[in-house]
Amino acid sequence: MEAGQREHEEPEEVKQCDPSLPDSHSQAGCEDSEAFPYHRTAADLGDSIPDGDQTEEEEEEEEEEDGAGTQTDELEETSATEEERSSSLDPEGDPEEKAERDGTLNRESELPEPSGNGKEPEEDACVAPKAGELSDSGSTDNTLEDSGEFTETCPDVTAESWRGHRKHVFVLSEAGKPIYSRYGNEEALSSTMGVMMALVSFVQSGDNLIRSIYSEDHKVVFMQQGPLVLVSVSQSRQSEQQLRQELQYVYYQIISMLTQASVTRIFERKKNYDLRRLLAGSEKILDGLLDLVDTDPSFLLSAVRCLPLSSSLRDSLSQTLQKAITPNLVFSILIAKSQLLAIVQEKAVIEDARLEPADLHLLLNLIGASSAFQAGEIWTPICLPLFNPDGYFYAYISYLDPPQCTVCLLLLSTDKEAFYSVAECKRKIEDGVRAQNALRAVEEARAYSVTQVGVPDLRHFMYKPFDVPENHKQLTQFTSPEMEAPYSTEEERERLFDLYRYLHSCIHSATRPLKLIYHVAEKETLLAWVTSKFELYTCFSPLVTKASAINAITKLLRWIKKEEERLFIRYPPKYSTTPNPSKSSWGGKGGSDRQETTENGFLSLP
Amino acid sequence: MISPRMATGAQEKQYPASLLNFFVYNPKFGPKEGEEEKKILFYHPNEVEKNEKIRNVGLCEAIIQFTRTFCPTKPAKSLHTQKNRQFFCEPEENFWMVMVVRNPMIEKNKDGKPVVEYQEEEILDSVYSSVLQQCYSMYKLFNGTFARTMEAGGVDLLKQRLEKFFYRYLQTLHLQSCDLLDIFSGISFFPLDKMTYLKIQSFVNRMEESLNLVKYTAFLYNDQLIWSGLEQDDMRILYKYLTTSLFPRHSEPELAGRDSPMRLEMAGNLLHYGRFLTGPSNLKDPEAKFRFPKIFVNTENTYEELHLIVYKAMSAAVCFMINTSVELTREFCEQLDSLVGPQLTLLASDICEQYSINRRISGPEKEPQFKFIYFNHMNLAEKSTIHMRKTASVSLTSVHPELMKILGDINSDFSRVDDDEEIIVKAMTDYWIVGKKSDQRELYVILNQKNANLIEVNEEVKKLCATQFNNIFFLD
Repeated sequence: MEAGQREHEEPEEVKQCDPSLPDSHSQAGCEDSEAFPYHRTAADLGDSIPDGDQTEEEEEEEEEEDGAGTQTDELEETSATEEERSSSLDPEGDPEEKAERDGTLNRESELPEPSGNGKEPEEDACVAPKAGELSDSGSTDNTLEDSGEFTETCPDVTAESWRGHRKHVFVLSEAGKPIYSRYGNEEALSSTMGVMMALVSFVQSGDNLIRSIYSEDHKVVFMQQGPLVLVSVSQSRQSEQQLRQELQYVYYQIISMLTQASVTRIFERKKNYDLRRLLAGSEKILDGLLDLVDTDPSFLLSAVRCLPLSSSLRDSLSQTLQKAITPNLVFSILIAKSQLLAIVQEKAVIEDARLEPADLHLLLNLIGASSAFQAGEIWTPICLPLFNPDGYFYAYISYLDPPQCTVCLLLLSTDKEAFYSVAECKRKIEDGVRAQNALRAVEEARAYSVTQVGVPDLRHFMYKPFDVPENHKQLTQFTSPEMEAPYSTEEERERLFDLYRYLHSCIHSATRPLKLIYHVAEKETLLAWVTSKFELYTCFSPLVTKASAINAITKLLRWIKKEEERLFIRYPPKYSTTPNPSKSSWGGKGGSDRQETTENGFLSLP
Repeated sequence: MISPRMATGAQEKQYPASLLNFFVYNPKFGPKEGEEEKKILFYHPNEVEKNEKIRNVGLCEAIIQFTRTFCPTKPAKSLHTQKNRQFFCEPEENFWMVMVVRNPMIEKNKDGKPVVEYQEEEILDSVYSSVLQQCYSMYKLFNGTFARTMEAGGVDLLKQRLEKFFYRYLQTLHLQSCDLLDIFSGISFFPLDKMTYLKIQSFVNRMEESLNLVKYTAFLYNDQLIWSGLEQDDMRILYKYLTTSLFPRHSEPELAGRDSPMRLEMAGNLLHYGRFLTGPSNLKDPEAKFRFPKIFVNTENTYEELHLIVYKAMSAAVCFMINTSVELTREFCEQLDSLVGPQLTLLASDICEQYSINRRISGPEKEPQFKFIYFNHMNLAEKSTIHMRKTASVSLTSVHPELMKILGDINSDFSRVDDDEEIIVKAMTDYWIVGKKSDQRELYVILNQKNANLIEVNEEVKKLCATQFNNIFFLD
């Protein structure tokens, strides 16, 4: 089954990526030409496209999306070759703009674009904007006037249930065009988003910048990132700083699909471009990210969590990864239950840059948000915004244990053509893991209980060490036990997480940071402590005394020290895929990289 | 207005937070396009160009409208921008008061060019929202509600009163020194033994009986309240007026005149130090005017308009409030002076004596290891050993402003939940700060024991509670 599926998809996937990949002759085309193909891969896998015609049509759409606003391609029915496209990347948005002005842009010219799954969606502005349908409604939104109509016909904007959401997140373009809304139809919300943009630009016109609005129950936080405006409307106790950090994650996730350079260029060329065309289908990824941000402390702490494993098992997994290499492979990562099992890095990578926790979070979210990855193999371009916001990696994603799909392998390469060789690595890793019978052990591994620490009053904790064992920079990690009673309901878990967020915001306040917080409240006693070596958040039963809390922390620190090998990846191993790794533009930001593009992609490895 | 402070060493100028704009508007007054100006009832500074005023009011309206999308009943209270913060308050239906405070800034010299950096997180919302609320309360104390004024004389009268009041009042706002005490807006009570307290009470009763026109009385000593017949909220704002405006204005001549023979002459046949702080400054003056400030109390229900007579002898001050339907004459003032003056003088020296005895018993004051602020929400009682003294201009604190802001942070955390809480934090400067909230009472302690640990800090605070607040239960 698996093989069969692969056979069918492989060429398809490769082909899909192919035109969009940077090459030596399309100078600046690298990031620009890339439409984000997730939705497509996801949809394709789900629907397993039957005939070649369909595929061709899809490809055409792909190209249409590629060059932001390339209606011309569509209209001229060019079957674009790479050369043609790169020429079409030159300012060519004009015809469309003109068309739009004249109102001659008909639905036909846009129609093929949205049907990500090959079906023609029914036109219904009020339908919830999931998956492919979104861009359909987008096609009717050529003028702002339309939006008023939607507001009237869609009751959900004024509905109590919509208002009641704890945290709204909106993304819009500088022209006030809706790009994403966590809840509710973007169309219905377009007037609300219009107001947001109006506020932003009004304050800007006074040579000032809007930051936030506070009401009794809500915080509205604005953030501008290049041509995008992100807004969070929250009823939670989170600080403005934290909400802004979350918006930053949302921005990064968008960048990871499109790259920063391409987003900038799209809006430079056409201010009122509807970015949803390029993001269609990826709302799920953003939804997933925001759900994760609200439950997973990794984001709050900017650190990754490892699945507790015996050091011998983790070592042997790392060794397996270390052995299965191919040129241009830069990161090999094993993940289970959204936690890290093992990570191996190319030597040269580590010299100048490192994988930031945030980049890894985006990858983990991507994998978690799409169940489609559970079938077969995926080969997709992905940008790691903190590593390099303007370039792509090529990610190979595959589960090692279908159908359970617990253990996921993620291989990152800089070579767009490397699918076959990277897939070969996977087979080696699969064999290696199987030989060690490691899958069983990993599947059995789970988060630990706080009772293992052996301190009666201690209910929960989060510990993030700063001490780096060697000189090389390594991935920031943290450890935390499962949330157990009394935090067994979702409400209680949320409440505890809110308390942690509150402690975090106080202790890391931008203007008035603290060293220690001891907080006694009705339901629990909390202690947060930041030193040069670690950051610790603990939760005790409310009746604990200060003396016993301090005692407990001493014991806890001792326990963590003892368990260190199991809880953290202490020395991430490295491999070298090239005989003579020389320094290059790793992690370099900005345009200069693009010029240096070689056949390997944006990163030039000799 | 702006007084740059040179920071030591570096070529940096620091500018504290300052008032940029203050305006009052009613969106219902100019609903049509082109009539926006009619919405504006008061705008400070008045020199601002008309369109600019309209723009700023428009932004407030938009912000408030926008936040109603998410919660129709609880619109925006503040807007944070890079350069300033705006605070919104709707004290009466459709009447909005807006205060725009410029963020503190640092002017640095970079390559010969001055570069301004705004310190965006220095202003505490809770403090300045309270200041804005106080602006209204103070206005209302002397002018009554907007709605009543509208009934009495329409928009023109309202504009006139707003202009007259705020023109002066805004100059007395010292935004850079606002802190936690502005949030509490509490009343400092004078600690007294039972006997003296009874004396004062009987004095008040006698006076109310003799001067049967008196509706309410309040008694203060040393700028601290001893007795008040007013509702708590009215007393709170009257107390603020007395201690930050009226008393400081009169303190100088009093200090100078205490031993001057002039006073004795003035006293007439009976030796006393009594004098009017409101109304006639010299009863003997044939030109003397017998006009007293009017105040409005109980505006929620009975809506009373009263004459405010403040009469003081040495450190004791008594306020008599009399319905404005009564006209106050020279005869009345003379009667009051001859009746109250001698008795109040006597009482003042009694209290003073008692006070110094008590101080001697408690022993010489040595600099304690801690400073604290206490506030009781039930009787508005506040006590601070952090603030040296209240003056009309600056409230001097003996701790670093940074620590005061941490107190403010802890306070905003307390105000979010009703439960009892305790928070102990260690600041980057190694000061320990303890906040306790228990049954409507809040206590904040700053400890200057940098090497202490959590347990020792806890012990210190326990001791403090035992000596200062032995009858109050605080979470342990």
